[in-house]
Amino acid sequence: MPKYIMLVNSEKCMNCKACVVACQQRNGVPYGHYRNWIKETPDKASLNGRHYQPGACMHCDSPLCVDACPTRATYKAEDGSVRIDRERCIGCGGCIAACPYDARFKNPLTGTADKCDYCARSSASGLPPACVLACPTRCRTFGDANDPNDPVAKILAANKAVYVKGTGQDTRPTLAYLNRTLPMDWPRRAEVPVSLAAIGTLSSAVKLFGGVVLLGLAGVFLGNLRRPPDPGAGHADKGGKP
Amino acid sequence: MIRRHTTSAIVMHWFNAACWLTLLGSGFALMSNPAVQPVGMWWPGLWEWTIGAGGTLTLHIIAGLVWLAAYVVYLPFHRSEALSFLREIVDISLVRDMSWCMGKGLQLILGKSKSRELGPKFGLGTELPPQGFYNAGQKLMAVAVVICGLGLAVSGLMLLVLARQAGAETALQLLLLFHFCCAGTMAVLVPVHIYMAALAPGEGPALRSMLTGFVPEEFARHHNPLWYDALPQGEPSPER
Repeated sequence: MPKYIMLVNSEKCMNCKACVVACQQRNGVPYGHYRNWIKETPDKASLNGRHYQPGACMHCDSPLCVDACPTRATYKAEDGSVRIDRERCIGCGGCIAACPYDARFKNPLTGTADKCDYCARSSASGLPPACVLACPTRCRTFGDANDPNDPVAKILAANKAVYVKGTGQDTRPTLAYLNRTLPMDWPRRAEVPVSLAAIGTLSSAVKLFGGVVLLGLAGVFLGNLRRPPDPGAGHADKGGKP
Repeated sequence: MIRRHTTSAIVMHWFNAACWLTLLGSGFALMSNPAVQPVGMWWPGLWEWTIGAGGTLTLHIIAGLVWLAAYVVYLPFHRSEALSFLREIVDISLVRDMSWCMGKGLQLILGKSKSRELGPKFGLGTELPPQGFYNAGQKLMAVAVVICGLGLAVSGLMLLVLARQAGAETALQLLLLFHFCCAGTMAVLVPVHIYMAALAPGEGPALRSMLTGFVPEEFARHHNPLWYDALPQGEPSPER
C-alpha cells in the first residue's frame, strides 16, 4: 500500500510563489483563496536574512479535521492523504476550525471545504502535484514513502525529517521539512468545535433512549401476546365512562 | 360511524409519515462519522450501497423541500383545520393528562387487570381518566411533532441557505446541533407513536380511521368520551 507524502527543503525556497499560482490554476482555486502558502521569517543564517517555508495541508496521520467532520466527507485515504468528498460535505466548517495549520477554507463556488489533495484530479493521469512541477528550485518532492526506490524514500533516508507541530498537540503531520525549517511554532491549538462534539454526546443519548424505547415496546408487545385478553375491560381502559 | 378525520388531514398524515421516515433515515445516514452516528455504521453503509453518499444528501434535501412546499400549499387553504388541530393538542389538563399517561404506562407494562388493582396504590384511579379528541399521549406526541417539525424546518432551511456563505460556520455548527436535537427527539418518539397506533391492542378502529376517516360510534364514545359528548346531537358524521 503506498503512502504518499510531501518533502520540502525550505532552504531552497526563494519565495517566488510559483507553487501557489500553479496550485490555484491547476485546481481552479477561487480568487483570494489558497491551498498552499509560503511563510517568511527573519533568519540570520540565510544569505538574504529571510527564511521561506512553503506549506500546505500536512495530511496528518491523526487528523483532527477527520474527527470534526460529522458526515465523514473528510477522511484519511488509504494512500495516506487526507481527502474531502465534496458529495458528502455539508459545509459546516467543523474541519476548518479543527485544523491547527489553517490549511482549509470554504470554497465559495462549491460551498464545501477545500484544501490540498495532492492535485488528486490530475494525479490519475500520472502528473505530480502542480506545486512540485512548478517549483524552479525543486524544493518540493512528492512520492511514495513505502517504496524504497521512490526518490522520497531515498531523500528521507539521507536527511533528517523535521515536522512542524502545534504546542502540546501532535496530529502527526506527514509533510516533512528536510533538516531545518523556520518558523516552527506557528500552528494554533485546534479543537473539534463544541457544538459538533455535543452532537456526539447527543447521539449517544439518542442511541440509549431509542434502544430503551424499542426494547420496552418489544417487551410490551410480547407481554400482550402472552397475556390473556381482559374480558371485562371493553373500551373503558381507553378513558371511557365507567 | 362518526367522521374523525377529513380527507386532507388523512393525506397530510401519511404524507408526513413518508417524509419524516425518509428524512430521519437519510439524515441519520448522513452522519457517517462513527463518533456521531446514532444507529450504527451499518446504517450509512446501507444507504451508501443503495443510493450513494451524494444521493443520500440530495434525497434528504429534496424530501425536506417537498415536505415544506406541501405545507406552504396546504396551510393557506386549511387554516381552520390546522388551527383546530393546534387547539386540540394544547388543550392540556395537567392532572387528567398526567394521570392518563401514568395509568396507560402501567397498563402497558402490567396489563389491564393488574393495573386496575395496583393503580390506586400509585394514586391513580381504577380506570383511565376520560379523554377528548386526542388522548394525553397523542397530545404529547403532537406537541413534540409541531415543535420539532418547526425546529427542523427552520434549521434545515438555514443550513441549506448558509452552507455556501463564508463566515457562517459557527452558525452552521449550532444549527446542525439544533437540527439533530429535534431529529433525535423524534427518533425516540416516533416508534412509540407507531406502536401505539398500529400494534397496541384495541387500536384497530383508530388506525383504520386514518385511512377511511371514520370511527365506530361505540369506539368514539369509549375512547374519546369528552369529544363524543361535545359532538352536536343528531349529527352522525360531524367533520373534524
